[in-house]
Amino acid sequence: MIPLWLWIRVSENENGKRRLALPIPIFLLWIVLVALLLMLAPLVLLAGLILLPFGWGRPLFGIYGNIFLLLGSMSGLSIDIESRRQHHLTRILLK
Amino acid sequence: MSEERKKILEMVAAKKITIEEAEKLLAALREPNSTSTPTTSPKYLRVRIEPAPGNDQGERVNVRVPFSLVRAGLKFASFIPVHAQDKINAHLKEQGVPFDLSHFNPQDIEELIHHLHDLSVEIEGKEQVRIYCE
Repeated sequence: MIPLWLWIRVSENENGKRRLALPIPIFLLWIVLVALLLMLAPLVLLAGLILLPFGWGRPLFGIYGNIFLLLGSMSGLSIDIESRRQHHLTRILLK
Repeated sequence: MSEERKKILEMVAAKKITIEEAEKLLAALREPNSTSTPTTSPKYLRVRIEPAPGNDQGERVNVRVPFSLVRAGLKFASFIPVHAQDKINAHLKEQGVPFDLSHFNPQDIEELIHHLHDLSVEIEGKEQVRIYCE
């Protein structure tokens, strides 16, 4: 499933006691992306037809499917960075 | 009748287990690999970077990449045009990597990912790097 939220969690320890959880609605970004892709679709199709004899047509025709495949695979991607010196834990999670 | 089946039926007769529990046990006996750990495809590729022992001040990085993302990335390789594949193959060969992109097909991805299940890379130096699948 395409991730809808990007969670950024920052927690601070050692009596810093700060916890921040920031959900970013990346589904808004996907709406803009879909609108952009729809607008570019005729151009991509035309470019694909022109470049087909040169071997670049197939990648262009498949690019839309692959973009959505890539986006849909990103759910669950997480990156944790912990700095003991500064007692910081930053977590980025796509959900 | 096998010994295990006999024991299960004796336990039912002695009312130590219910019929439903006995049915589950018998079903498990029927499956050939029921006791072995199931070999499922790995779900995540994990990369962990930790400071070397004795260095508590370093940063720790923990990255979890879903395997579906790895699959999607590998599928992009099939969209590389043929003439570009030749150039890439030539460069790879120069670097000593005998890999042919033109023979790489999406069916190989599942086999590759299945074999990555046992992948484990550990590097120790200033930092400890560990790459594994789970």
